[in-house]
Amino acid sequence: MKSLLWQALRRRPYALLRLCLWSVLEAAPAFLIGHAVARAIEDGFAVGRPALGLVWLAALGCAWLVAAVAARQIILAVAAVAEPFRDDLLAHVVGGAMRRAAQSVTARPDTAAVTRAGLQVELARDAFAAVVTTVRGFAFTVVSVVLGLLTLAPQAAVLVLPPFVAGLGLFLVSLPALARRQRAFLMADELLAESMTGMAGGLRDIVACGAEDRVGAALADRVEAQASAARALARVTAARTIALAVGAWLPVVLLLTGTPWLLGGGMGAGVVVGALAYVTQSLAPALNGLVHGLGVSGVSLVATLRRIATSGPPAPLQTSAPLEAPEALVAGPGRAGAGGVRLRGVTFAYGPHSEAVIDGLDLDIPEGDHLAVVGPSGAGKSTLAALVSGLLQPDSGDVRIGGVPAADVPPAARVLIPQEAYVFRGSLHENLTYLSDAPPHQVEAAVTALGATGLLAGPPELDPGSLSAGQRQMIALVRAYLASARLVILDEATCHLDPAAEARVEAAFAERGGTLIVVAHRLTSATRARRILLMDAGQAVAGTHDELVRISPTYADLAGHWQPEPVS
Amino acid sequence: MRAGDRLVMDAVRRSGPWPAVLAVAAIGGAAAELALPYVVGRTVDGFVSARPGTASWLAACAVIVAGIMLCESAGVWARGASSAYAAARLRLSVLRHVLGVGPAATRRFPEGELVTRAGLNAEEAGRAPEAVTGALALLVPTLGALAALTLIDPVLTATLVAGIALILFVLRAFLRATTTIAGGYQEVQGEIAVRLVDALGGARTIAAAGTADRETRRVLAPMDRLRAHGMELWRANASAGVQAGLIVPLVEVAVLAVGGLRLAAGELTIGELYAAARYAVLGAALSTSLGYIGGLARARAAAERVAEILGLPTTRYGTRLLPATHPPAGTSAAPAGRGTVDFRGVTMPGLAVDELVIPAGSVTAVVGRSGSGKSLLAALAARLADPAGGTVLLDGVPLPELDRAELRRAIGYAFERPVLVGDTVGAAIGLGADGQGVVAAAATAACADGFIRRLPGGYATPMADTPLSGGERQRIGLARAFAQGERLLVLDDATSSLDTVTERQVGTALTADPRGRTRLIVAHRLTTASRADRVVWLEDGRVLGHAPHHELWADPRYRAVFQGPQELGGSDGRGGDLS
Repeated sequence: MKSLLWQALRRRPYALLRLCLWSVLEAAPAFLIGHAVARAIEDGFAVGRPALGLVWLAALGCAWLVAAVAARQIILAVAAVAEPFRDDLLAHVVGGAMRRAAQSVTARPDTAAVTRAGLQVELARDAFAAVVTTVRGFAFTVVSVVLGLLTLAPQAAVLVLPPFVAGLGLFLVSLPALARRQRAFLMADELLAESMTGMAGGLRDIVACGAEDRVGAALADRVEAQASAARALARVTAARTIALAVGAWLPVVLLLTGTPWLLGGGMGAGVVVGALAYVTQSLAPALNGLVHGLGVSGVSLVATLRRIATSGPPAPLQTSAPLEAPEALVAGPGRAGAGGVRLRGVTFAYGPHSEAVIDGLDLDIPEGDHLAVVGPSGAGKSTLAALVSGLLQPDSGDVRIGGVPAADVPPAARVLIPQEAYVFRGSLHENLTYLSDAPPHQVEAAVTALGATGLLAGPPELDPGSLSAGQRQMIALVRAYLASARLVILDEATCHLDPAAEARVEAAFAERGGTLIVVAHRLTSATRARRILLMDAGQAVAGTHDELVRISPTYADLAGHWQPEPVS
Repeated sequence: MRAGDRLVMDAVRRSGPWPAVLAVAAIGGAAAELALPYVVGRTVDGFVSARPGTASWLAACAVIVAGIMLCESAGVWARGASSAYAAARLRLSVLRHVLGVGPAATRRFPEGELVTRAGLNAEEAGRAPEAVTGALALLVPTLGALAALTLIDPVLTATLVAGIALILFVLRAFLRATTTIAGGYQEVQGEIAVRLVDALGGARTIAAAGTADRETRRVLAPMDRLRAHGMELWRANASAGVQAGLIVPLVEVAVLAVGGLRLAAGELTIGELYAAARYAVLGAALSTSLGYIGGLARARAAAERVAEILGLPTTRYGTRLLPATHPPAGTSAAPAGRGTVDFRGVTMPGLAVDELVIPAGSVTAVVGRSGSGKSLLAALAARLADPAGGTVLLDGVPLPELDRAELRRAIGYAFERPVLVGDTVGAAIGLGADGQGVVAAAATAACADGFIRRLPGGYATPMADTPLSGGERQRIGLARAFAQGERLLVLDDATSSLDTVTERQVGTALTADPRGRTRLIVAHRLTTASRADRVVWLEDGRVLGHAPHHELWADPRYRAVFQGPQELGGSDGRGGDLS
């Protein structure tokens, strides 16, 4: 995360230079104010030459106007650094979310968390801009004031600077504690919000379970934790305020105490007032700005960056496999035996303490086979699909496609179409040729073969939200049909189609050639397949429909139950 | 006094000493800040003219500065502490009240609204004391500064007011309309978010196709436009902020100039000139300090919104217990619950049940077209809603007279879309149960034990790490009801997302419940009705029949319930999308 920060600052040297130059102009009043006040009084108003006094004050007014113009340019220069920083963070969040979603194949991605991360990006951008602005403003103002004091009244600098430095030091020392408290508060607040959202969403269920007291007590704990974090934050903020007061107010008292000494050293009263103006008009506001900038924005920047960092691992996808499919695995005339799937002793569990979903599975799916996988939900059908397509690695055993380990098989060699079809904003043609470069006439042929001509009647630009689940599945199926892969895995990919459409799709895929694995949602899919794999409670049996009815009581039972399901 | 104001006053009164500390610190600090320029001016003048007694003015300076420091620090602490106490108190009472109101609260306010009111609005209302003292702390020195300036020299006050008016007038000419820019920015942000959600929905496809990087670029495609809108926003901010920031320094310069002329004329001392310049700065803040009064208005509005929730009537429960259960005569089996449900003259919008007795230990299916009042009947049987007229009794006791814990212990309720509450899967199942011992058995009966054991941590897997399908969710919801209800189980379409095989297994477990509980099952499937002992057939909120399935089957209108359009797509209830 730190590297992101430095990258944002370093990549724009020109913007930084501009920032510095305008800052010099912006800090001009901070340098001029003491001199202008002192000279206006000493050389002008106090000695009966009001015109000269007015000239000095006019100079100060002009400096303020110039500073205002500079301030505007500074905001734009800061924006020129902050906007690319936001872009970097956004790319990081989006890329991280995509990679994580791609890696955790079975888990549904938490879109709400991603939306939250998007908000964090905006917070981080604002905090980053605020920190750059205040730290820079503080540095330039302090340099101006020090130069001004040294040129106006070097003795006064001795009275002003030590307490100022002490205050600044106190504040910097208190910063880590402040950051810790702030973070603790943010986390307590987030936990509380989470609990309250859970309670409001589950109110009906909580009441039905009679768990009001239990949930109420848990909520009370969270409320108390949040309030106590808020109080702790208030305590350290109060300590921080002391630091601010030491740095901003103590110099005033010391200046006044030293006034006789300054006057004795030959300085006029106007010079004393000028020195006071440096402290009250420039130094104190600058310190205040820094305290706010670092104490609030800086702390929030660190907190949000940390949150963003954990929202997505930046590790790139494992792309050990070549991007293009080896010849042998790509569909084409005269290639046989290449797309066969072979599983040996495959075992897979979702965690070290959980039961195996698939336990010691041996399975051969020869090239050109059409296999249906059936079983109750949770029996491991989708897990098997993910293992065969190389998205999951078995805990033990071996999955090979055409002799190559599944994880090393390039994506172009196999197609997995899951239940939830992916359709993106773009043209229908773009969506259909997502996995291929098929020319329009081929696309048309595929659409006809799958009975998806209804798609062509829709608008040319797709809005995924306005499509029905069935239309989305049809798009994904045409896409898979057009792909060059020899191995096609349909994981309940037709569940939103009506039975007739499903039959047509499966027939088209069977005629397409290559190896077809269908995770079946309805038994009718299974009866169309050449062979059936029955999965149940970690066990698997394969055979034809007739064989399975004979050898597997479970299958016979299922088949017997499925048939009379009344009206489908 | 408005309910919201009473609420805030009450919360403030119970926040301990902090509001008082805050008030003292705010007013003391304001007074000190107001006094300081005058005292500093006197000190400078005293030293310049070497007047005796200046040392005591200097001491006064030191005391006042110490006072400012102390008040500021104490104020910050008190502000944080008092609003934390007040907000926590308000929030707790809102949350407890919402739990007491029950699902009726979400019928009146959407969930997000409840969370906003208990969260953000309680926080804002808790800041009421802070808003009052904050406005005081700003108004006192501002108005005081104007008064002090007038005391020093009325001409200076006139300069200050004229200066502010003039600068605002001049700046207005340069202020350009800077609206509608923020809208464009948020629109592009939304576009990126939508693209990302689309892509995440297709995560498996993208993973299988190995196109994660390509999709990331697609999601980020509108970023250039985002940056363009962003820069526009910055430009607008820059102009507005800079112009506002000019007021105070220019006013100060004007007051110094006029004061300098008075000094040259011998009508002002140098110390007074210094004080005048400081008062000008304090007084010029008037325009901004008025904005803080808005804080108080916000706190009051927030308190009003919190009070609206507290005004919702809570559900009242009685104190009666159910008659004891006895083991069935001649067996040594676990004591069977009774669980007779009795509807007597029940009326409410959408449902009227004159006389209906659901016998103890029976399996009763509730069928009817959608909108016929099935879910309402189920909710009334479990007192998730109260009828407008009539009574529902469980084992002879009217439900409103039952003790709350007794009522919930007796009835388990499974929803079509259960919301799972609990930190772990095991805790979510045991939410309504007394002990955790029953969890695994209940999960087994609901066909959930198998997939739970395959989760990374089994029953101890945190819910947050467990993305569940609709069917898995339903099975955990079923298990939760099985673990809870001792006499009556109500299943409101609670197996609709299960595939036919699993649904059948659950159905079998349900029919052969060893504890002999009464089972009331709202269902669409023919098989469920045919398996039940009796069927309650509803049509347009009326009971058309209460008899075994095979008896009702003779009526063509009854058969039509199962052949309605929603059944044509088979048990999946979908289809025909493309034709």
